[in-house]
Amino acid sequence: MAFVELVGLTKQFGSLAVVNKINLAIDKGNLVCLLGPSGCGKTTTLRLIAGFIEPSGGEIRVGGKRISAPGASAPPEARNMSMIFQSYALWPHMTVYENVAYGLRLRKLPKTEIRARVDEILAATKLSALGERYPSELSGGQQQRVSLARALVIKPETLLLDEPLSNLDANLREEMRFEIRRLHDEFRYTTVYVTHDQSEAMTTADLIVVMNQGIIEQSGTPEDIYQRPMSEFVARFIGGTNIFKGKKVGTDSVACAGGLVLRCASGDFADQGETAVSVRHHDILLFADKPASTDANWIAGTVTRQIYLGSHRDYLVSIPGGETVRTVAPITVAIPVGQQVWLNFPPEHCRALAH
Amino acid sequence: MTSTVQAPVFNRGIDFSKPVFILLAAVLAVLVILPLFWLMVYSFTDIDRNVTFDNFIKLVTDRAMRRSFGIAIGMAALVGILACVVATPMAWLVARTDLPYARFVRILVTASFVTPPFLGAIAWEILAAPNSGILNILYRWIFGLTDGEFLFDIYTFTGLVFAISCYTFPYVFTLVANALDRVPSDLEDASSILGAKWLTTLRRVTFPMVVPAMLAGALIAILQALTMFGSPAILALPAGFHVITTKIWSLFQYPPKLELAAAAAIPLLLLTIILLRGQKWILGRKGYTVLGGKSGAPRVTELGKFKWLAVAFVFGILCLTVIFPYLALIKTAFTETIDAPLTWESFTLKHFNFVFFEFSATRLAVFNTLLLGVLTATICTVIALVVSYLVSRKSVAGAGILGVLATAPVAIPGIVLGVGLFLSYANPTFMLYGTLWILLIAFLTIEMPAGYQQLSSAFQGVHPELEEASRILGATRLKALWQITAPMLRTSVVATWCFVFIGTIRELSATILLTTANTKLVSVIIYDLNESGDLGAISVLGLLLLVVSFIVVYIASKMPLGAGRLQPRG
Ligand SMILES: Nc1ncnc2c1ncn2[C@@H]1O[C@H](COP(=O)(O)OP(=O)(O)OP(=O)(O)O)[C@@H](O)[C@H]1O
Ligand SMILES: [Mg+2]
Repeated sequence: MAFVELVGLTKQFGSLAVVNKINLAIDKGNLVCLLGPSGCGKTTTLRLIAGFIEPSGGEIRVGGKRISAPGASAPPEARNMSMIFQSYALWPHMTVYENVAYGLRLRKLPKTEIRARVDEILAATKLSALGERYPSELSGGQQQRVSLARALVIKPETLLLDEPLSNLDANLREEMRFEIRRLHDEFRYTTVYVTHDQSEAMTTADLIVVMNQGIIEQSGTPEDIYQRPMSEFVARFIGGTNIFKGKKVGTDSVACAGGLVLRCASGDFADQGETAVSVRHHDILLFADKPASTDANWIAGTVTRQIYLGSHRDYLVSIPGGETVRTVAPITVAIPVGQQVWLNFPPEHCRALAH
Repeated sequence: MTSTVQAPVFNRGIDFSKPVFILLAAVLAVLVILPLFWLMVYSFTDIDRNVTFDNFIKLVTDRAMRRSFGIAIGMAALVGILACVVATPMAWLVARTDLPYARFVRILVTASFVTPPFLGAIAWEILAAPNSGILNILYRWIFGLTDGEFLFDIYTFTGLVFAISCYTFPYVFTLVANALDRVPSDLEDASSILGAKWLTTLRRVTFPMVVPAMLAGALIAILQALTMFGSPAILALPAGFHVITTKIWSLFQYPPKLELAAAAAIPLLLLTIILLRGQKWILGRKGYTVLGGKSGAPRVTELGKFKWLAVAFVFGILCLTVIFPYLALIKTAFTETIDAPLTWESFTLKHFNFVFFEFSATRLAVFNTLLLGVLTATICTVIALVVSYLVSRKSVAGAGILGVLATAPVAIPGIVLGVGLFLSYANPTFMLYGTLWILLIAFLTIEMPAGYQQLSSAFQGVHPELEEASRILGATRLKALWQITAPMLRTSVVATWCFVFIGTIRELSATILLTTANTKLVSVIIYDLNESGDLGAISVLGLLLLVVSFIVVYIASKMPLGAGRLQPRG
């Protein structure tokens, strides 16, 4: 059964619904990523779960108990949750040890137990040597681990993270990403993780929830989201893609501008008006020579840009109808700008999108 | 999995923010709105409270009244200009050149900030009164002249402008110096690399960027000059002319003309509001303030052979504003008379003896001053703290209104507030006139904007997530406030307290209308003694005021608070 449930959750600031009737069920022990562009309402959703703000509609249930509803919300301190803030929010007037011990002291645990548990978590986060330092004496990555330790030491039922890695440099970010996943696997909290970085979401999450303008566009496993996007927004936001627009023809094909007809092996079509097809960059095959048959899922185009990227070459090809297709090819396929090429879109990689 | 599950509890305790909000809103509204309300009522009514415009008609038809307005505005404008002319080059020398002793100069400018202007005016009386002034005595002595001759006369319009400028130029200096500290050198480097000479860069890049700061500082200096009571009362009245503030005060003398005083206060109030708007507009314009960004340290100009000229200029100014006046006060405090020579024979402690043991008013005044200083500073800091918390954390809907109310008194000049409070509380209903309460109310109102501004910027420095991190780990709102926010704000709270305390013990403009024989303050007896010409006693009291102020400033700057721990060690 779902542990954390958001039911019709809504938050309005003035007349603007920043979070709009969200429904989401999170299983116990799962790591869920809220993913979306800036301003889509991720932080607001997280702060609703934490209890820092009260919903304008709907409710939040944890373990079957209602903890948030308009006019009847438990305060954050009564939720047995932990949170890691984007700014880390380490208290500058306390040492690392005091920062980590704070939550345990609030719970009035005996001194010896506090010491044991703090030492244990400091060891798990590789901070044992730094207990007596002040936050200002730590590097960014160390500060990040302190905030992680401080949140984990109280053994919360639910752990909330708001873009915890956005202040770190690229290398450290990669490392900490796996660290967070490792600690999650070790302690198995129910975790809600907010990010706008899709690779961060792909590597850490059990479930990815893609948000856009206050609503959930799609939720599913990383594979679901990547392989089977349900909307143009999701396809574009996760992994990058080429979108072709056209009219549905027959049972499973879309006729696009410039004579390109794409047969799609999966997805939904919009019955009326325009429908879209998504094909990932690396799923498109590029040929220098004219193939034998070029009816469906083939089109000719002209190379407008070619970039050498070490592991592969990145191509922009303009096709009749004005579209520009982005695709990649092995290093050995080197075609100069201006030359004609043929593109093949294998049907199994063409996904139809109703919206 | 280990289970430390605590079922979420719904008992939220009592949320104090709502009642506190309502209480504070009421208190601030009474502080701000009541005096303004009665000011309006009196200015638009006659003795029997019938609506009339007579007061304003009298105001504009009375020649003496018009003259006092004209003089005040002219005086304030000249003060503003003089402050800019003196302070801007000085600020540039201190902030942007290799001027020796620059730190020391900044400290001395702070000293002229701390000096109550009325005390400065008295010091300049001691120095430059036509007959008894030390400088004039020296002048006669050096040139062997007779008694009637003098070089300076402080009891003139020029003397007044000079004496006020001495204590208002720090506003311009501080703002311009801060702006120069912040203008990054790469803006200037960009100009140099394009081929601009040193002076061109200064004129075309550096100077235009500090113009807003200079104008803003000048407006504050003008405002101070316009609303100041002490200095004009000390220097203009003997010279036989009035400014607005002294005119309002004279309307309170027997037989009091309260309606007219209220009406005369209104233009002053409007002028203040206009000047503050102007200041905000200047500072608010985009593009001028240089924010953040990584840029080099401010570039330093080498003065070379002009170095000693610059030193002479800066120290000349400081002599006029701080060094001479202080020496004059010290000399007067320790010798029989002003003109006594500086010898061991003329050294005396009789003024100290008089002030502390013989003069009956002193003890009461010192007690009252300290009591009011401590009470005002404490209450004001507490209110400002709670208000800035509620406003910055938006914990109650409509909290913003508290900030507006707490800032509003900045637009009410002391003497205007004095009139308003007199009208509000010196009546049979309240009967607060003649008590310390009315003074406490006045000081709280006057100091609230400064206290609030300091603490709200301190709150903005404490990221709300620091508190939230404590809440989510299980602390209640009050606990988070106490364990997390309070320790981080300690320095600012102490600084605010000191700031308010110093502001209170030097207040004269509102006090002069609200004080009575039983509620004398040190500032008031200094003023009274000046009327009777007892400069020795004044100097002793003035030094007392200065010493207390400097001790408080020193404590505020040196507090070994948690601050040290916030910085990286080693
Ligand atoms: N207290 C508030 N009052 C009014 N509007 C708000 C408030 N807090 C957030 N918003 C608005 O709600 C929208 C969503 O904000 P939110 O912080 O949830 O975005 P986000 O998805 O976390 O974005 P980011 O990735 O930039 O952090 C934004 O348009 C924001 O301006
Ligand atoms: Mg956010």
